[in-house]
Amino acid sequence: MAVSSRPIRIAVDIGGTFTDIEVYDSRTGSTFAHKTPTTPDDPSRGLGIGLQEVANLCDFNLADIGLLLHGTTIATNAVLERKLPKGAMITTKGFEDVLEIGRHMRQELYSLKAEPRSLLIPRENRFGIVERIRYDGTVETPIEKAALAELAKKLAGKGVEAIAIAFLNSYANPIHEQEALEVLAKEIPTVAISASHEVSPEIREFERFSTTVLNALLKPVVSRYLEQVEGRLQAIGVSASLYLVQSNGGVARPVEAARLPAKLLLSGPAGGAMAMANLSELHGVSNLVGIDMGGTSADIAVVAEGSIGQTPEGNIDGLPVRLPMIEIRTIGAGGGSIARLQGKGLRVGPESAGANPGPVCYGRGGVEPAVTDANVALARIDAPSFLGGAMQLNASDALHAINERVATPLGLPSEAAAAGILEVADARMADAIRLSLFEKGADPSDFVLAPFGGAGGLHATALADALNIGCIIFPSNASTLSARGILGADLRHDLARSRRLKANNGGEADALTALAEMASDLRKEAEDALVRDGVSEADRLYEFSADMRYLGQAYELGVHWGNIQITEQTVRDLVEKFHAEHLRRFAHADERDTVEVATLRLAAIGKMPRPQISGLHGAAPDRPAIRGSRRVWFENAWINAPVYSREHLEIGSRITGPCIVEEAFTTLVIGNGWKAQMKAGGDLVAVKGEVND
Amino acid sequence: MTEVDPIRLEVIRNALVAASEEMNISIWRTARSTVVRETLDYSTAIFDGSGNAVAQSTRIPVHLNSMSVCLEEIVTNWIPLSEWNEGDVVLTNDPYAGGQHLPDFVAYKPIYRDGKRVAISATIVHHVDIGGGAPGSYFAGAQEVYQEGLRLPPIKLVDGGRMNASILAVIRRNSREPEKIGGDIAAQLAALDVGARAILRLVDRYGIAVVQAAMAAVLDQSEVAMRSAISAIPDGTYTFEDFVDDDGQEAIGIKIRASVTIEGDKALIDLSGSSPQVPGPVNCTVNMAKSGVYCALLMAAGGGVMANTGAYRPIEIIAQEGTVVSARSPAPVANRMATGHRIVTTVLGALAIANPEAIPAAYYGVSYVAALSAPDASGERRVYFEIEVGGWGGHPESDGANGFSAGFHNLANSPLEMCEALFPVVFTEYGLIPNSGGDGEYRGGLGLAREWRLEADWGVLSGNFDRFRFPPYGLNGGKPGAPGRFMLTRDGNTKQLPSKISGVQLKRGDKVRLDTSGGGGWGDPAQRDPEARLADQRAGYVS
Repeated sequence: MAVSSRPIRIAVDIGGTFTDIEVYDSRTGSTFAHKTPTTPDDPSRGLGIGLQEVANLCDFNLADIGLLLHGTTIATNAVLERKLPKGAMITTKGFEDVLEIGRHMRQELYSLKAEPRSLLIPRENRFGIVERIRYDGTVETPIEKAALAELAKKLAGKGVEAIAIAFLNSYANPIHEQEALEVLAKEIPTVAISASHEVSPEIREFERFSTTVLNALLKPVVSRYLEQVEGRLQAIGVSASLYLVQSNGGVARPVEAARLPAKLLLSGPAGGAMAMANLSELHGVSNLVGIDMGGTSADIAVVAEGSIGQTPEGNIDGLPVRLPMIEIRTIGAGGGSIARLQGKGLRVGPESAGANPGPVCYGRGGVEPAVTDANVALARIDAPSFLGGAMQLNASDALHAINERVATPLGLPSEAAAAGILEVADARMADAIRLSLFEKGADPSDFVLAPFGGAGGLHATALADALNIGCIIFPSNASTLSARGILGADLRHDLARSRRLKANNGGEADALTALAEMASDLRKEAEDALVRDGVSEADRLYEFSADMRYLGQAYELGVHWGNIQITEQTVRDLVEKFHAEHLRRFAHADERDTVEVATLRLAAIGKMPRPQISGLHGAAPDRPAIRGSRRVWFENAWINAPVYSREHLEIGSRITGPCIVEEAFTTLVIGNGWKAQMKAGGDLVAVKGEVND
Repeated sequence: MTEVDPIRLEVIRNALVAASEEMNISIWRTARSTVVRETLDYSTAIFDGSGNAVAQSTRIPVHLNSMSVCLEEIVTNWIPLSEWNEGDVVLTNDPYAGGQHLPDFVAYKPIYRDGKRVAISATIVHHVDIGGGAPGSYFAGAQEVYQEGLRLPPIKLVDGGRMNASILAVIRRNSREPEKIGGDIAAQLAALDVGARAILRLVDRYGIAVVQAAMAAVLDQSEVAMRSAISAIPDGTYTFEDFVDDDGQEAIGIKIRASVTIEGDKALIDLSGSSPQVPGPVNCTVNMAKSGVYCALLMAAGGGVMANTGAYRPIEIIAQEGTVVSARSPAPVANRMATGHRIVTTVLGALAIANPEAIPAAYYGVSYVAALSAPDASGERRVYFEIEVGGWGGHPESDGANGFSAGFHNLANSPLEMCEALFPVVFTEYGLIPNSGGDGEYRGGLGLAREWRLEADWGVLSGNFDRFRFPPYGLNGGKPGAPGRFMLTRDGNTKQLPSKISGVQLKRGDKVRLDTSGGGGWGDPAQRDPEARLADQRAGYVS
């Protein structure tokens, strides 16, 4: 890494409402968290304002910023809101509708009207070209270049701004896509073009096509945004190196982000997941599940055996994105989740009141009680001091709505109804966490829970109780945690080659040759990328992995291989690892079966200097930690619960549930039977039952 | 009886659905065959201790709504619940003992706590091959169920925790894909255990009485919801007929007739007047017919009713034995889905008379199953199996969806690249068929074309289709969707194949093409928005 002599590192996470900024000063090891409103019309404006604010608050010069790491939802929002340029797709003739047909399975079984399906390029803008590559990469029909040139002219006339090129079996041989790229670049040089072999060179056409289309359409969007950001930074005198947070938890230079913007699609929640990985390392807990609960949804990220869960594929708005990314399960459960009666049952979510009108207590016209209303009605959230008093909540309206729509129809006291809303919401989240872990063959009781986001701390002990989890880490600065996670990010390139190879039972020799060739290609490509990034040799890290399966299986299992040389021995090791992993995840393995490698992957990481953060959360001794007490509903009764101010809890101090801990942007509820202690570094660690004295 | 409060009820209801989803993930994770892992042809459910279906995963309606009827048949006529014990797994694929067709294995595991049966976990998996006269066990020429493969009456595959290895060996020995069927059965059994663990977790937390009370209340909720949906339909008797093309042998124009009588909050569906059972394998057993009726009513209820035995309570079904909707043994049944889908479209058609503004025109209405047996590059014989779909019917408010799973089944396609990598085929087209959706104020969705060329020295092909003669109906003046076709091109000459065929010998270079049906149109075509017509032209949906 070209280490900058400029001492300030900044992480910025721009969300829908707030822009979170985390400042790290490498001279002192100190950090500072800041929130400033997001400016949705041009998010770079809010970013500029926020940077000036932190520079004033922390007393540094903008020119002192050496690194600026940026998590952005620009790509995500462009897709969700369909603010995308006019695009076209060029594909193998006869397969123009692959993008529209998709995998043709529905989610709603008994609906008489088909659920909406996302389609980003309409049929009239999808064009077939005569060409064909076989599954083994050999050319069956050469590409018709003349037709391609003609098509290019036609597309220019149609005002198309982005083109996706995606041919069948191009993962096995990209030659036709490369030829098409050449022709188009010559004919219409100003149009953004993406070819599938560059974006996601993996088997399964629909998933690859979908990813390529997203990438093509996002190119103009992200390029424009990056120009704005760079312009803004220049204007205010920031000359830092800018990096963008990708869905894989690593960062990339702007030029890379502009080339592969689909890698930014799940950048938002990645920061939180990275913070979970940091937390797991910091506390020496190898199994940790993070739940980021906000207004409309909860994101679940899992750190298992010390590493953050990655998945080779995700999706956005029903569109598959075949790119390695941090695995996050999202469910419709948040502070805004609405409680409704259905028959004799009480349903909570997935419908959400969102931020507007929001829960009833916001006083913006919401009439249906939401989870936040239940928290307010039970005084778990203190209505007068919500968001540090910045927003007034109306507790009596919340209570009224709960009474009218839940308590009275069910014949329950209002407290029981409100507590019921919370219990149902917690149960849904607990079920989702259990499924997330189950998919990995893991058991919740082996995990530590880390709640964050605006609402996570309110529900954590109840969730842990439901999941039989015995330890909770309430991270410091829970509401700006994503930015903190981004602060420690490394550069990362995920590269892949798909080819089916038999790795045992007689296929060893061929596999060895092919893998060695693929690995050397990948390593060269990776090295070039890291050199372009300016990463010094000592800071380059390579991790091979392989997607493998038993012959005839339809899906592959990712097997971690490490930074290996390809030899007879390491290939044998890989097969062994596959059997072992298959047994662990799927409960069976057969060592006699033929094992196939489908995809070889290389993660190329450029290490950034690690922030050396000093413990800085000492309490201000002149202010007592305990703020007082208030009547709060716990389990089945109103009790006079102690209320602590988190910022005044001294390191080492212990508190016992039931109690409340208030922070600037959120509230923690410590349930019955839980004891918590403030750790150096500011995290509050709660343990169920007997406490380690 | 223990009362359960509405909050605990909802918590447990969510957990029961989550338990069936855990089972679902478990099968997906551990199965071996493409038909399970890529086309996702399996389902999972949780039953209460006395055999009522309570919660299901989001999978395949035909499976889900048949598992309770199957269990009822097993405990009534084969293995009474009193003979079920801890550690048992009861399994069958026998269409005449609660099953559907031989490839579908249904398995149940009773779950005990303190010697008391608190629940039953259940799975149904379509296995890739269980023998019989054609690869994939879809033998279009079958005239008896004996020709369709190995038949397993309800048996204890696992008895008191001990696997009956001999039966497993018999099953493997009878399959063209022994490794895969063995692997998929293991997956099925593992999922039953996963369901059991999830239920026991609930029992540990809330106690047996509360969990049982909650299951009863979940059933009651569905019953109330279904009764209220039925009440919204005007009282009266509504009769509709639709047709299955043929049985692939002698019978042509097989009639399905449904008289739906709505009386207050109850529905009587009388399938009398449907054709007598036929020689070829399109017969349904009565459990299949019931599954179709339940599916249609759950759809008509608008999708808001949680599907379980409670929802079935207000529904009475009459299916006369010896007809195509309630065949007598040993009538062959492999391609029973053609008739099953038709039961769904017929009942919906009858309901459309009652509620014309609520029910869409007919969807494609068949599971397009094709199987190819051919040698792969190493000379080993492989069974390539695909299931396709067509267009949805036009809806009173919107056009039908193009090429999308509808109605009685719900399946993913197999990626073309994956098929080419595993089987000796090269695809030459996969796309929507212009003009295949029925015209109407709201157009029917388009059917699909899937065409491939054989790249091996030999191949044996079978196809089990329908809607080649009797296209999906339109409603309220809407036109029917285009019928489907199955075609073989050899040396430049194309010939149409019948909708139900097996044992077609293929040569290298032969091209096989399936065109699936579009959906019917809804409403008078003259009323179609001119803008929508222009958009159709632009996209080439209509030429």
